[in-house]
Amino acid sequence: MNNPTRGPIVTCSNLSMNFGKNRVLDGIDFIANPGELHCIIGPNGGGKSTFIKAILGQMHHDGKIVLDWPSAPGKIGYVPQNIEVDKTVPLTVENFIALCVQDQPAFFGVSKKIKTEIDRILARVNMQSKKKLLFSELSGGERQRVLFAQALIPSPDLLILDEPMNSIDRTGAAIFSELIGELKAQGVTVIWVHHDLAQVREMADQVTCINREIIFHGVPSEVMDEKHLLEIFTAQPVREAL
Amino acid sequence: MEMIYDLFRHTIQNLAQNGLLPNSLTYTFVINALLCALLIGPTLGAIGTLVVAKRMAFFSSAIGNAALTGIAIGIILGEPVASPYVSLFAFAILFAIFLNFSRNRSGMSHDTLIGVFLAASLAVGSTLMLSVTKKINVHILDNFLFGSIITASSSDITLLVVAVGFAVFIGMKNYNRFLLSGLNPSLAAVRQVPVMKYDYIFVILIALITVASVKIVGAVLVEALLIIPAAAARNISRSLKSFVIWSVLISTVSAVTGILLPMQLELSVPTGGAIIIVATLFFIATLIIRMIRRQ
Repeated sequence: MNNPTRGPIVTCSNLSMNFGKNRVLDGIDFIANPGELHCIIGPNGGGKSTFIKAILGQMHHDGKIVLDWPSAPGKIGYVPQNIEVDKTVPLTVENFIALCVQDQPAFFGVSKKIKTEIDRILARVNMQSKKKLLFSELSGGERQRVLFAQALIPSPDLLILDEPMNSIDRTGAAIFSELIGELKAQGVTVIWVHHDLAQVREMADQVTCINREIIFHGVPSEVMDEKHLLEIFTAQPVREAL
Repeated sequence: MEMIYDLFRHTIQNLAQNGLLPNSLTYTFVINALLCALLIGPTLGAIGTLVVAKRMAFFSSAIGNAALTGIAIGIILGEPVASPYVSLFAFAILFAIFLNFSRNRSGMSHDTLIGVFLAASLAVGSTLMLSVTKKINVHILDNFLFGSIITASSSDITLLVVAVGFAVFIGMKNYNRFLLSGLNPSLAAVRQVPVMKYDYIFVILIALITVASVKIVGAVLVEALLIIPAAAARNISRSLKSFVIWSVLISTVSAVTGILLPMQLELSVPTGGAIIIVATLFFIATLIIRMIRRQ
């Protein structure tokens, strides 16, 4: 490990949120530690993405959210579920990364200062040969890899993934797992909204199940038993996933 | 500034008198218009790529219509009939801010909301215009509606220089932020882009450059020069770089050709109309190229 406490301790206390009269999060207590992969699971519409946006400081909420950094506030990497790019806008993979990570207008090309870093990260996600392709020409899984790549520049201290594996292929999933493992080893705090229960059991250090409120949380092998999961998911997908 | 314009005018006039440029460029008003075109074309072309990518074409159309109301208010309040700029700028910018505010806060469909604002601004503008026509020569209003090269004065050019300078500075400095906040607000926010603030800056930028171009292109057609060159460029581009370059080129060539060609051919065509017809021809050509490539 280079620095086991690079990321922040993320703490939420009694976090609640309403959309109009609809209570979407209710009294959430949550903690994620540096060097830890903390997965968030739960049924669709259970408030997982809302919870993530609250941690990112993008939603008004009741309760407290604290990012306790080991020293000065570090970098946050964020992988959204998907990105809406008008199919007719000629935005290449390289353009998109440049748009995210540099000040120089992206239409001038990639800044020389970060070109090497962009090439390195794109190579890590197996997308370097496709960097001149338009975003609209990529498959869903390839788009996710690009979205993941931008989150790694600059190297994040807190990485938040909002269910990015909805459409990813097997190779992409292996790349994600490998890179997240490396970040964990470097002391990065990783929070991952995930729907693949088998992979959560395999990879996560901690899991929290949210369906408006906390349904359960703890070490996956201890809390992700069939009884718990059947309470929140339908039986068929759970049996398949487990 | 006047000295710089004079130097530019004399140079162009000398070249035209020596037969190196079209004969129409011996006239001062044509050179003024050419200067305006060289300022408007590249700026609207470049900003247009953002308008198209952020899907705000309908929005800029509403701003163009709001300019009509601004002109009418200016004339009613006693501003100079040929340049009611205070009311024009003030109304268009306030309109843009209010429209963006309503869009952010209401949760309504953008298209519906902009459609309502667009219709309302057109209704108020045309009603006020009718009352204004009793006081002034109606042909002056034609200039604002459809553009006129005859009325472009040195002060109009100075105003354009300032607006273009501001637009280029803000646009270049924040191009990535404007585009990213349109693609994914959450991702932009994580990247330290205050999305709402940049939304407001962008709509003010559109209002500013739209209003500054009204004299040349006309209130009815100014938004078309924001949209058509970018839409044409999009048809043939394979990267952001070629998108911007083509859009700037098409917009500039359309503006210059739209001003000079009717003069050369002695056609009685409003400038705005001529510019947009040329831009549309480019769009059709690129559309054909796109369709051929897709086969």
